[in-house]
Amino acid sequence: MFDAFIEGLILVLQWKAFSLMLVGMALGFCVGLLPGIGGAATLALMIPFIFKMSPAEAFAFLLGMHSVAATTGDITSVLFGVPGEAISAATVVDGYPMAKKGEAGRALGAALMSSLLGALIGAVALALAVPIVRPLVLTFGSPELFMLSLIGISCITSLSGATTRGQIKGFAMGLFGLLISTIGQERQSGSLRFDLGMMYLWDGLDFVPVLVGIFAIPEIIDLAVRGTSIAGDRPPENLSSGVMEGVKDTFRHFWLVFRCSIIGVFVGIMPGAGGGVAQWMAYAHAVQSATDSKERGGFGKGDIRGVLGPGAANNSKEGGELIPTVAFGVPGSGAMAILLSGFLIMGIMPGPEMLTKHLSLTFSMVWTLAIANVITVILSLAILDQLAKLTYVRGGLIIPFILLLVFVGSYTANGQIADLIVTLIFGVLSYFMVLFGWPRPPFVLGFVLGKVIETYLFISMTRYGFSWLTHPIVVALMILMVVVIAYPYIQQRRQRAREPAHA
Amino acid sequence: MRANQLMRKGNFVFCIFLIAIAAYATFAATGWSFKTKLFPLAVSIPLLTLLLIQVLLMIGGKEQTNESAAMDIDFSIEVPPEVARRRVFGIFGWIVGFIMLVYLLGFPLTVPLFIFLYLKLQSNIRWLTTVAITVVTWGCFYLLFQSLVHIQFEAGAIQSWLGM
Repeated sequence: MFDAFIEGLILVLQWKAFSLMLVGMALGFCVGLLPGIGGAATLALMIPFIFKMSPAEAFAFLLGMHSVAATTGDITSVLFGVPGEAISAATVVDGYPMAKKGEAGRALGAALMSSLLGALIGAVALALAVPIVRPLVLTFGSPELFMLSLIGISCITSLSGATTRGQIKGFAMGLFGLLISTIGQERQSGSLRFDLGMMYLWDGLDFVPVLVGIFAIPEIIDLAVRGTSIAGDRPPENLSSGVMEGVKDTFRHFWLVFRCSIIGVFVGIMPGAGGGVAQWMAYAHAVQSATDSKERGGFGKGDIRGVLGPGAANNSKEGGELIPTVAFGVPGSGAMAILLSGFLIMGIMPGPEMLTKHLSLTFSMVWTLAIANVITVILSLAILDQLAKLTYVRGGLIIPFILLLVFVGSYTANGQIADLIVTLIFGVLSYFMVLFGWPRPPFVLGFVLGKVIETYLFISMTRYGFSWLTHPIVVALMILMVVVIAYPYIQQRRQRAREPAHA
Repeated sequence: MRANQLMRKGNFVFCIFLIAIAAYATFAATGWSFKTKLFPLAVSIPLLTLLLIQVLLMIGGKEQTNESAAMDIDFSIEVPPEVARRRVFGIFGWIVGFIMLVYLLGFPLTVPLFIFLYLKLQSNIRWLTTVAITVVTWGCFYLLFQSLVHIQFEAGAIQSWLGM
């Protein structure tokens, strides 16, 4: 085992594999910065180039690119409030307000360092879990995955205002997101729902135009209204020390980063959930770490923990997603499905052989995840000062470029003008949501999870009727869900009980 | 005071708008087969219920406390409301204009035109700087999206009408 571990490292460090990994990383860096052009789409574009590569070279190239895209996706989220990747949306919620407070360097430092730690924890999880994860994944059928998705949805309690009225608004937005996710063809029967007679809506709404509209448009409007730079008229922070402060923040909140990384790994292992869910669950967990209502109120206004949690989960889920892909050939996400085709092109069948015959190749993937992220973060830290300066460029100069990024990004979803209109519609909706205090994160969580929940519910009902409700793991997950829902209330009660005592 | 009243009214109208969507969804779904309507109804009925409770709370006049505020960003309040409103309409105008231009001319022509017009008319940047930024942006756009990533941009409606 140890020999294979070292062999895996040697495979990655061979000059050709290492050079290809660097090329992949450069591509991934650009892709991560461009909204809309997702890591999965780029993986698909790069698959034809791997035919003449050896398996170790091919995976160094593909994984180097894919893992780096998840890391750099946070950069535009922090600087402009435009998610570079769909999986970087949660970083906007606290990262962009930090940029507005003149703390872009600190937010970027924290996002990148937590991403690095997340990626390393994901890589370690991949190395450790491959032999033991088989029973876990095989135990989780559709009912268990449905319950797991419901636990994801129940995070709404943590993503909404603390009072009953805040919770009503939060749950309403979550349900609204779920309702929007039902637009299009129903997968089981093929019937059309809420298509308004438009062929564009038959496939449902794509994540990118919706997410970019939801997060970017209100920020652009706010920037235009203020008429200043993103950081406003605040004196420029000492950018270098800001970046280092963000790095230190990661270690100050190490256990939060660690827990969020574990959430990312776990969600990554479960097929279908993906990074869209992991980031929000991690964000909700970060909110739960607030010790009192004042601290909780700081989330969404620029709390560093709101950047650290999603940053860590985004990258650790890469390692998690690889576990079922490598061990059983069950891809955890679209990107992993494309990677799976890479395995087949290389003539490798994922499964038990990856743990015996190709063990060194499996470990080379672990090393690629780790090395690619270490190099990216070190290089990025060197240029973060310059990137953070963009938040001091006057709004009138930067707005047209952000608009360009937003709309070109959303156009890449389907290549239709309708994508731009969807972005505009959800941008307007999001503007009013922010204006009137309806939280956006629960909406996004509902929208991302909607299709997954419906699919698993349908399969569970068809396969088991109602008997799945009595499955032991389902019952255990139900209890866990109740705990997740009740936790913020219990926490609030405790705080209230404690506050008079302190007063 | 007046701004607060306006916000309250706006919030009420927004809530009614959401209710209308939830009611439409519930109504539309009732006619579908069981499989098709199960999930939308399971979502739209509780949504409708929550929104109605919210409306009742609003009518009851209960003020929103800080603790019930959304866990989300806040818009800046330093700018006077009239100026803010004018700027909001202004930026919406630019966004709609951008989409119209993409529809009429396609992305490759819209990008330099939009950048040029925005920098010159809205931001009042000097001619030379505007032209330089426009050329660089167009060059980057062409290299990145057209030459490297090969995104197929649709031709604009005008080009289609002219048979180009």
